[in-house]
Amino acid sequence: MFELLGDYTVQIVVFSSAVTGATSGALGCFAYLRRQSLVGDVISHSSLLGIVGFFWLWFAFTGNGNKSLWLLIPGAMTASIVAMILTQWITKTTKIKADASLGVMLAIFFGSGLTLLRWIQRSSNPIPGQAGLENYLFGMAAATTLPDLWMIGILSVVSLTCLVICWSRLKLLTFDPGYAAGLGLSIKLWELLLISLLVIGIVIGLQIAGVVLMVALLIAPASAARQWTNSLGKMIFLAALIGAVCAASGAFLSAVKKGMPTGPVIVVFLVLGVLVSVLFAPGRGVLSRRRSLVT
Amino acid sequence: MVSEGLNHALLPGLAFAFWIWRDYNSPWLLIAAAASGLVMIWLSEAFQRTKLLDADASLGIVFAGMFSLGVLFVSNFLKQTHFHQDCIIEGNLAIASLDRLKIGGWDLGPKSWIVMLSIFTVQLLFVIVCYKELKAALFDPELASRFGLQPKLFQLFWLSIVSLTTVAAFNVAGSILIVALMIAPPAAAYLVTTRLHSLLFVSALIGAASAFIGFYASLSLDVAPTAPIASSAGVVFLLILFLSPQNGFIVTQWGHWRCNRETLECLVLQWIQDGLQERSTFPPRASGPFTKWRYILNRLKRQTLIDQSGDQLVLTPAGQEKLTAKLAEFSCME
Repeated sequence: MFELLGDYTVQIVVFSSAVTGATSGALGCFAYLRRQSLVGDVISHSSLLGIVGFFWLWFAFTGNGNKSLWLLIPGAMTASIVAMILTQWITKTTKIKADASLGVMLAIFFGSGLTLLRWIQRSSNPIPGQAGLENYLFGMAAATTLPDLWMIGILSVVSLTCLVICWSRLKLLTFDPGYAAGLGLSIKLWELLLISLLVIGIVIGLQIAGVVLMVALLIAPASAARQWTNSLGKMIFLAALIGAVCAASGAFLSAVKKGMPTGPVIVVFLVLGVLVSVLFAPGRGVLSRRRSLVT
Repeated sequence: MVSEGLNHALLPGLAFAFWIWRDYNSPWLLIAAAASGLVMIWLSEAFQRTKLLDADASLGIVFAGMFSLGVLFVSNFLKQTHFHQDCIIEGNLAIASLDRLKIGGWDLGPKSWIVMLSIFTVQLLFVIVCYKELKAALFDPELASRFGLQPKLFQLFWLSIVSLTTVAAFNVAGSILIVALMIAPPAAAYLVTTRLHSLLFVSALIGAASAFIGFYASLSLDVAPTAPIASSAGVVFLLILFLSPQNGFIVTQWGHWRCNRETLECLVLQWIQDGLQERSTFPPRASGPFTKWRYILNRLKRQTLIDQSGDQLVLTPAGQEKLTAKLAEFSCME
């Protein structure tokens, strides 16, 4: 099985999944620490409408099916930003709370996205080039092409550079936003940056993890990494590592066994990682706490 | 949030039971799903007890993990059966309608319809009989326990009924959009009413209406019905949000605009009375480009509150009266 690693396509798949896992894992630390997994869920589910919608618009204007990430990722970003604005507006102007508005966004965006997807795929008159679009539900890393890898790479580099440049202020905003506001930092601007990083962290992984399970790829590496260290820097590095390893192994396994959707495989590896971390981490882990109680 | 994840977590139990018994309407499916749900609850409680992960993260990880195991099981072991990967997303209404319950020569309808109807009856009875206890247990558990009403028991009952409904609705809604169908109609109803009994009735109504609209839309679009049903529920929500006569978006914005207009009218009347129109900075120009000020002036003229002679504007007696009345009103509000 491992001789397949010599194959060029498989190398692209594994490399892009590793990059994706690393970026999502790193950016997911902020989502984890700021308790934004619900927002992340809204973002990833709503992206479906954007992905399918942009595909359809491109077809309507040019008559070709185009599944390149250069078209679909902007679509995902557009739809998720609209969904977030709508959610914020609903929670502000009505009595509906944040987790109920997630269900509503699911109905509106994911429901219409799925309707549009099925309509594009309808047996009576399917649109050419639609065959791989369904993979955005549960992920299919094997569909990654070289242009896709470029898009993923550019997004990764941009977001991680941003992370490095604004490191100290991001750290401050995550742990003590009140103090940051007191220091005169423009909270609106920085919140915007953090949300943009969250959106990037999510849409970058939609091809390999799928819309339904993406949030796990965002949160699980951070949860696992948290058990091993108290320092934000080490946590981000570790989360990137865990994300990369699990994503790459999951992608490799799913590419080798044809027809197995990638998202669930990655999530299984990630959950194992979290379990191992929760049990065996020195100091915080369950087993080490038991031992310190006994001795 | 919990009920949402519960719906996802039932998948592995359902898939496993289907793998063994190969029958959608077997009662074992319900039992296996219930077992699955219990496993999920136990696992997430275990995670939360370690206090190493926050509540959201631990729930999310357990749901995602169990759901993924279910999806992998379905795509590996149930490939050629009726329960394939698409069913997770959108159920299997076409097959479900063909599997009918026949008792002694009478065709009573599709088995899954009968199952759903019975669960609906159970729900209705439960809500009617235990209405007060349920209300107390779900909204104010502390008060309920002080009355000796055992809120934990009712919460467990409620979770079981949610699981039962999820399993029964699997044919129509699959495993993902069931969440949308359970949350969007009540949310839409919550925009219209806040009393619990009317909330129950209105959300049931909206749910049924979305199912109707969605189903017929799916016929004309040539797609499986689940997705159009969920998006109809979402569309109904948006319609109510914008068009509701009490606090819909349109009505609220119109109200704001009217309030603004009234304030501007009073302001202009005040300015005219104070003789400020001599100043070159006086915004309302009787001639020139059509601005909101011209609009206000036209309105005031139409209501005969001001008079215009040449370039000069003066208040009529009616205008004077209106101004003094409004000022009195505003100073009363101080």
